[in-house]
Amino acid sequence: MNLNLTTDKTHRYDAIVVGSGMTGGIAAKELTQKGLRVLVIERGREVKHIEDYDTAMKAPWEIQHRDKVPVRSAEELWANNRFVGMAQDDKAGFMTNDQQNPYVEKRPFDWIRAYHTGGKSMHWGRQTYRWNPADFEANAKEGIGVDWPIRYTDLVPWYSYIEKFVGVSGQAEQLAVLPDSHFLPPMPMSPPERFFREAMKQKLNRPVTIGRVANLTQPQSWHTALGRASCQFRNKCSRGCPYGAYYSSLSGAIPAARATNRLDILHDSIAAELIYDDKTGRATGVRVINQHTLAVTDYSARIIFLNAGSMNTAALLLNSRSSRFPNGLGNDSDQVGRNIMDHHLGAGANATIEGFDEDLMYGQRPNALYIPRFRNWGSDRQTTYLRGFGYQGGASRSDWKRGVAMDGFGASFKQQMTQPGAWTIGFGGFGEVLPNPNNRMYLDPVKKDKWGVPLIVFDAAFGENEIAMRKDMMNSAAEMLDAAGFKNITGNNRQDVHLGLGIHEMGTARMGKDPKTSVLNKFNQVHDCKNVFVTDGAAMASSSCVNPSLTYMALTARAANYAVDQLTKKNL
Amino acid sequence: MNRRNALSHISLLLGSTLSAPTLLAMNRRDRHERAPGGFTLTSDQRSLVATVAELIIPKTDTPGAIEAGVPAFIEMMLQDCYLQPEHQSFVAGVEQLQQAGFLSQSTADQTETLRRLEAETKELMKAYQVQQTKMGDNEDKELMKKQATGLPFWRLMKELTLLGYFTSEAGLQASFNYVPIPGKYELVKIKSGQKVYAY
Repeated sequence: MNLNLTTDKTHRYDAIVVGSGMTGGIAAKELTQKGLRVLVIERGREVKHIEDYDTAMKAPWEIQHRDKVPVRSAEELWANNRFVGMAQDDKAGFMTNDQQNPYVEKRPFDWIRAYHTGGKSMHWGRQTYRWNPADFEANAKEGIGVDWPIRYTDLVPWYSYIEKFVGVSGQAEQLAVLPDSHFLPPMPMSPPERFFREAMKQKLNRPVTIGRVANLTQPQSWHTALGRASCQFRNKCSRGCPYGAYYSSLSGAIPAARATNRLDILHDSIAAELIYDDKTGRATGVRVINQHTLAVTDYSARIIFLNAGSMNTAALLLNSRSSRFPNGLGNDSDQVGRNIMDHHLGAGANATIEGFDEDLMYGQRPNALYIPRFRNWGSDRQTTYLRGFGYQGGASRSDWKRGVAMDGFGASFKQQMTQPGAWTIGFGGFGEVLPNPNNRMYLDPVKKDKWGVPLIVFDAAFGENEIAMRKDMMNSAAEMLDAAGFKNITGNNRQDVHLGLGIHEMGTARMGKDPKTSVLNKFNQVHDCKNVFVTDGAAMASSSCVNPSLTYMALTARAANYAVDQLTKKNL
Repeated sequence: MNRRNALSHISLLLGSTLSAPTLLAMNRRDRHERAPGGFTLTSDQRSLVATVAELIIPKTDTPGAIEAGVPAFIEMMLQDCYLQPEHQSFVAGVEQLQQAGFLSQSTADQTETLRRLEAETKELMKAYQVQQTKMGDNEDKELMKKQATGLPFWRLMKELTLLGYFTSEAGLQASFNYVPIPGKYELVKIKSGQKVYAY
């Protein structure tokens, strides 16, 4: 199919995709593979897979400041740096310069960005989970936010489709709360972790499984065809993987889209606004500002997919004003920018484990254990909060770093530090955040960035439900470690965490059944501008407690399939 | 809650035993301090730092701190990753040892001096950590004043010596079995005297 035979190839495409990250990559892949000529607009620099992973193979001594953050990086990456590790030398090159890309915090918001090819898919945590059927029904049952216009069954084939494409390592468990994916072989647990799993099964009847992670443990033919290979257990994923072993837009979707010869990617190009045509009631294209030259160019297409990351996608809608949409494209409901959700983290517990002295794991596992949600599930009913949380964590042996806080120095101390220390174990919760229209972002009426685009203002905070849940996240983790017989249990519940730090920010252009209360329909189309699709985290009507990327990608593939179907039927 | 508190909790509660220069870096914004780079040591002070580092990680059948380049690493790290409070507390600690005639002491006396310093530092660290775990906007201003006191000298020396040594090429290769590409993840039973792995 070629829908665009006669147009100027430099500025006209069948489809424009804004953003090259987790969902932009999938949109580009699906649309090109279905025959469309696609332009991806990426605001950041070009990163070439493997070739540009400058630090990937560096030895510890080749990283100048090791795991410390130089003062200069801490300033340039002032927001990224709120998430430990993001501003370290080995990955700082893949983070966004926050000084040059400022935002406004009416209330604190931890906004971690990655403006380059592949976006945050380059250094995501890779944890990959399906939602369960109840996740899609909870809003309606509890009268929270708006009901989802889709159900679990609508996404099942798309979950399968994405899981096979990206490759997910995990253990099938047949749990209603955490539906199984199509799995590559699971990564092993260490002996103390297996001990913990058995203890939880016997004492608390709570399942513990190995994390489900988008790292290839047994590459399939379609993975190797893209140049992807097995995980080497280096656990240096966030530097970029020279083996393509973990899924990213760079290692998977973009090469697949490129193979069609129907993909163009524009780098260093900021999508500033959508161009709307009153006569047709459609968006005709995207106005783009070159990062370096400030040159403005319009690109046009029949359909436009917004995958800029939830906050930037909403900002792009808000900045696209016309006589039809004076408050931003698709914003008749006034819901664009509202209902910011995330997963709240930073509450849990850790402990030391006695024994297992002869056990040591060879290799570094880029994965951990997962304890599925058990609160407000089955017969469990909490009185202080709705929904629930899952835990991620695991056991490891302490190394020489323990020496920093220990007494001693000299020859015997030096020798001692070369030997492994005690096993320790820890878990932290990932809690569901409820949608709240007062948790919002909007465009600053005055302040603009150096490209003349209004700054985003964040005005959002956790509510009572999240605060109550966090106490239980800490206490339940401590109880579980205690039930397993572990020692020196320490609970934690960080009070300084803000929305955003989970790097699962979502909800700012939610799907819904009613255009009066939602922005997108059940196929992620803007209600009143049907050729604009939003398929990143902005589309989410609730947040579940599991990591969201799989669901975003499944929604994207489903919407792309629908979009091409509608184009074919000349409905778009 | 301000940025500095936020960072202090990140560092404490993600379980890192290392201190957080990032935290201090962020403080600088709050306190309008000058950019780093002014940190220097005299040649006497350099000798003293090298001597202390070598006492923490001495040469045995494997290289010591000096052979592994730790003294220069410490100075570079203080310049690049730390701010005025640490610059001051570090130099104060060095000067204290200079005044005690540390470099002319016997090795036994030097060791004894450092033992005492380690014991004193424990109390200083307790106070330092209390500063960092307090929360709340009301306490903020007072806290920021207190935090003008940097990490104690001994803590900085020990942390940077261990970090510099065990991640240096000489120190890491001598202490551990360096495996840049493990290729698998599996259980091994440690035999006595066996080197463990570093990656």
